[in-house]
Formats: sequence, C-alpha cells, structure tokens
Amino acid sequence: MTGAAIRALPWGWFLRRLALMAVTLWVIITLTFFMMHAVPGGPFVSERMMAPEIAAALDAKWGLSDPLWQQYLNYLRGILRFDLGPSFKYPGVSVNEMIADGLAVTARTGLLAVLCVVAVGVPLGIAAALNRGRWPDTGVMMLATIGVAVPSYVIATVMLYVFALRLGWVPTFGLDDWRGYILPVIALAGFWVSFVARLTRSSLLETLDQDYMTTARAKGLRRRQILIRHGLRNSLIPVVTVLGPVVANLLTGSFVIEQIFALPGIGRHFVLSITNRDYTAIMGITIFYAAFLILMILIVDILYLWLDPRIRAGAKA
Amino acid sequence: MTLLSVQGLQSEFRTARGVVKAVRGVDLTVAAGEVLGIVGESGSGKSVTCMSILKLLKRQGHITAGKALFQGRDLLTLSEAQLSDIRGDEIAVIFQDPMSSLNPTLTVGAQVIEVILRHRKVSRAQARARAVELFDLVRIPAAESRVDAYPHEFSGGMRQRAMIAMALACDPKLLIADEPTTALDVTIQRQILTLLKDIQARMGMAMILITHDLGVIAETCDRVCVMYGGLVMEEAPVKALFARPSHPYTRGLLAAVPDLRDGMRQRLSPIPGSPPDMADPPPGCPFAPRCPAAMVHCVAERPPLFIATDTPRLGGGQSARCWLMHPDAPEVSP
Repeated sequence: MTGAAIRALPWGWFLRRLALMAVTLWVIITLTFFMMHAVPGGPFVSERMMAPEIAAALDAKWGLSDPLWQQYLNYLRGILRFDLGPSFKYPGVSVNEMIADGLAVTARTGLLAVLCVVAVGVPLGIAAALNRGRWPDTGVMMLATIGVAVPSYVIATVMLYVFALRLGWVPTFGLDDWRGYILPVIALAGFWVSFVARLTRSSLLETLDQDYMTTARAKGLRRRQILIRHGLRNSLIPVVTVLGPVVANLLTGSFVIEQIFALPGIGRHFVLSITNRDYTAIMGITIFYAAFLILMILIVDILYLWLDPRIRAGAKA
Repeated sequence: MTLLSVQGLQSEFRTARGVVKAVRGVDLTVAAGEVLGIVGESGSGKSVTCMSILKLLKRQGHITAGKALFQGRDLLTLSEAQLSDIRGDEIAVIFQDPMSSLNPTLTVGAQVIEVILRHRKVSRAQARARAVELFDLVRIPAAESRVDAYPHEFSGGMRQRAMIAMALACDPKLLIADEPTTALDVTIQRQILTLLKDIQARMGMAMILITHDLGVIAETCDRVCVMYGGLVMEEAPVKALFARPSHPYTRGLLAAVPDLRDGMRQRLSPIPGSPPDMADPPPGCPFAPRCPAAMVHCVAERPPLFIATDTPRLGGGQSARCWLMHPDAPEVSP
C-alpha cells in the first residue's frame, strides 16, 4: 500500500472502534464478576463438611475474604497484564494454561468446521440460487432444512452409532488420527453449513433480481463476470455478517459436541468450571469468548468497508 | 437501410395469476440513424418489446414467437454467448431508473471501463482514457476525477449521464432508451433528452425511445409507434401522427395532453376506463371497451394493421390497427 492509500483509510473510525471494544469488554468483565459472586456458594463449598477454620484459611489464601471491590480491582489489575489468575479447582494450573490446553483441541476441530462452512455452505447456496426451482436447488434446500432443524447432538449420536459403532469406519472418540476429526467436525459444522447455504441462496437470489444485474447483462458481460463481479460481492454482505459470530462460536467450542466425542476442549472446561464455581476459570473463559467475539465483529466491519463503498463513506464521515 | 426489423414478436410472463401476454404480435422497423419513438401507457408492452429484442426479459418472461432481425441476423435464435457479443457493443440500452441500474459497490468509471474491455482489444489505461472522454461527451463536470466516484456520490441526473456514457462506450449502431427521463426531476429531464438527441444526431446512430410522454416524442423522434394491449395500434411519421392521428386511441392520447396555446380554459379529456387485463386479453381490439367509435365487429375480431399503400383513409407512411380503416367502415370524423 502506498502512503496515500494508508492515509485514506478511516483511522479515526478504527480508533473509535477500538475504544468502544475496550469499554464493551470492561462492561462484560464487570457484569460477569458481580453476577458470579451474587450466586450462592463458592469454589470450596462441597457436600463434605469442612471445618470452619479450614474454610476460612482457604478463603484467605485465595483472597476470597477480602471485600468484593478489592477482589474486583485485583482481578482487573491481573487482566491488564493478561493474567487470568490460577484455577481454584485444579491446583497448580493457571486459567491461561487451561484455555491454551482447551483451545489446542477446540481450535483444530473449530477451524476445520469454519472451513466447511465457507467452502461448503457458500458454494451450495450459490449452486441452489443459480438453479432456482430445479433439482439442485430443491436438494440443497432439503438438506439445509434438515441441518438447521435437527439438533447437533442428535446428528452426532446417530453418526456415532452408525459410522463408529456399527460400521467401525471411524473411532468413537479422540483425535488420534485424521478419521477421528470427521464426525466432530460434521456435527459442529452441520448447522452452520446449512444456515449459511440458505442465507447465501436467498441473498444471491435477491441480488440477481436487481436492476443493475440486468444492466450488466445488457452490457454484454460474460456470465462469470456478471455473477462474480456484480452478483457475489453484493450478496455476500449478509453472509459475512454471520460469519464473524460463527467463527467465534466454532472456535470457542461446543460443550455438547465435546462431551459426546470426549474431546478435552474449551467448551467442556467452561461448563465444568461453572458447576465447580471455579471463579477464575468462569471469568477467564467468559472474557476470552467475549474478546474473541468482539474481535470477530471488528473484522466483519473491516470486511464491510472493503465490500461496500457506501459503508466506507459512512466510516470516513 | 433497415437496421432492425421485428416481426410478429410475442412475449409472455408466467406468473401466479396465469400467463400474462404482454406482447401479442408486434412488427416494427428501425432504419439506420433513425429515431423511433414507442409510446403507450404502462403495461402496453413497450418495454417488454424492447427487452425481448435483446432477450433481457426477467426470469418469468419468455419469447414465444417472432423474429428480431438486426442487420439480417435473427437475434432471437442466437445463443446467450453470441448475443452477449452484440449487447453493449452494437446495441446498447439505457434504463429507466439510474438509481438502481448502477452497481452500488463499483465505481462508475469501472462500470464504463468493463464494457469497453469486454468488446474492444484495448489496455486498461486506454479504456480508462476512453471513459473520461465519454464522461466529457455526456457533460459530466470534472470527468477525470468523477470516473473514480461511486454511484451514491452522483445525483440522479449525473447517474443517468453515466448510464448514457456506458451505453455509448462502444459506438453502438442502435441505442434503446427505455423511459430514460421518467425517474428524473422535470428540470433534469429536458437536459438529458437534449443530450441524447444531440449525441444521436452527432454519432448518427439509430435510437428507439420508449416513453409515455407525447411531448418527448414530438421533440425527439422521426417516427412513432403507439402501443396498446401488447399491440402496435398506429405507426406514423411524427408530424403526421400529431397532424392527423388515425386511430381513436391516438386521438384519445392527444386529447389527454394539455395544450398551453389554448390558455388554461380548455379542460383535459381523459380516456375513460382502464387498460385490459393482459392475463385475459379481449379477443377483439384491446381498445374497443374504451373506444368512443367502437363497432360490434371491433369486439369480435382483432383488426389487422392497415397500411397506407392500400388504405385510402391513411396518409403517407401511416398505418393503423383499426376497423375504421376498412373500406366498408363508416366514416368517423375525428
């Protein structure tokens, strides 16, 4: 990029967005922190009766006997250093490590699922739209409706039974070889592939009916040019909009799918940390998820700028 | 020399309400360098006729019969690929609404340049230079910088100028202008019309101007087709049409236009009734239910197009689809 092109970017808009993101994240941190502490119980409350002295000693050790505002400030101070604190439930493990471990598993299946959504969902939607009312359209829409309507755990369980248990083509759990990825990725991506296929189809159909598409034909442009240059760019805006949250969703894992396929991912950590009242883990994973989602939304907004000059003009103003 | 000859064209739209027979056998010719006006109410089939010629009908539209001979080649038998070589090159189109006819995500210049690159073997820089030249031609101020602007940065009039620039990009032999001024402010309408007429005369291209405005016809056209109910009702040189309209529908149209020379005292006389339902068109003359001179036979049988050479009641170059032109019909004074 040349100097002039860099100056032409909407830097003011970008800085305002970053500031807004920080504020959003702070609100989420604050709300989560106080809501979590408002719930009765704590990390060291269990069915087994504990001597009050031991309980008090534990609370003191972890700073839980400090006034709430003190704990809050301590926590914020940690976050500024990207330190999410130690886990209350797993001694010697920090929440940063917990997330890193979980993410290593979740990101692998998640990224593959995202790839499926983009590489399968979008082309299926395009194929359906271009064949409106004919068999490819009917077929894709039928599959997509099933994919949207049937819950992922049903699909996962049925697939496990048929392909792992009955046919033995794939392992029932674990990611030890590539075949282990197949079922979890399908189960994770199924809903979003269907959703994105439907969205792409309806958006492209709407674009194809626009007057400027007739203009493009009247200019004698070739079919491929008309479709890619004039059709796709305009119809991809709604698709890009959902892809941001979809990426955040898939990369931060699904508790249900991770449970079914026995994958030690983030989703499982998150749900377990809530039942465990593992304060730092709940906070850490929530913040991680929120930050990730906010970042994806920023990326989507930047993509808008590239896709639509009207939005670009608005950002500069 | 005949440039375009449309023969027996029929087009229909398959809709939920049934088959709408929008064009029911249209014949028309355009000579090289000539301006043909097509006038009619909405739904008369004038736009569908022109879009059929280039097979640009929307999804539900189908051409069911007829020929469209352009320089001797029947456009309707060409493949989509063959036709795309002609579209934008030898025949160009300007649409009604410049707001929606330009792609909002591409610069106006890019949309002009892509036509040039599609039909001419030139470099991108040459195409861009040509686009600037075209912007100058259609009198877009500061052409050099406006080429890189987006449609939303243009006013309606400027967008229509850009559409015209796009249409002229490859020096077409025929320009189809589908109500090019309808969507614009009245003050802008005249500018655009003058521009079109000016460029048409200078470049010597033929033009089909679709409009529902008889004033526009009077100012710009050499010959006029009056359409109603998917048929050409009358065809005449422009002077003859205004001097001695032969079809009752044409006379009705002219009576519905205010003539300011008579001062403000004259009342307009609208044509009573409404156009026929084209999903179920009447078997006879489509205008018969509203025609002050209708005879019993008009309702029963569709009149043929009577042409001047063998109809004493018609003037030179005129033709009319009306039973009153029949030698046995009673004389009706206009």
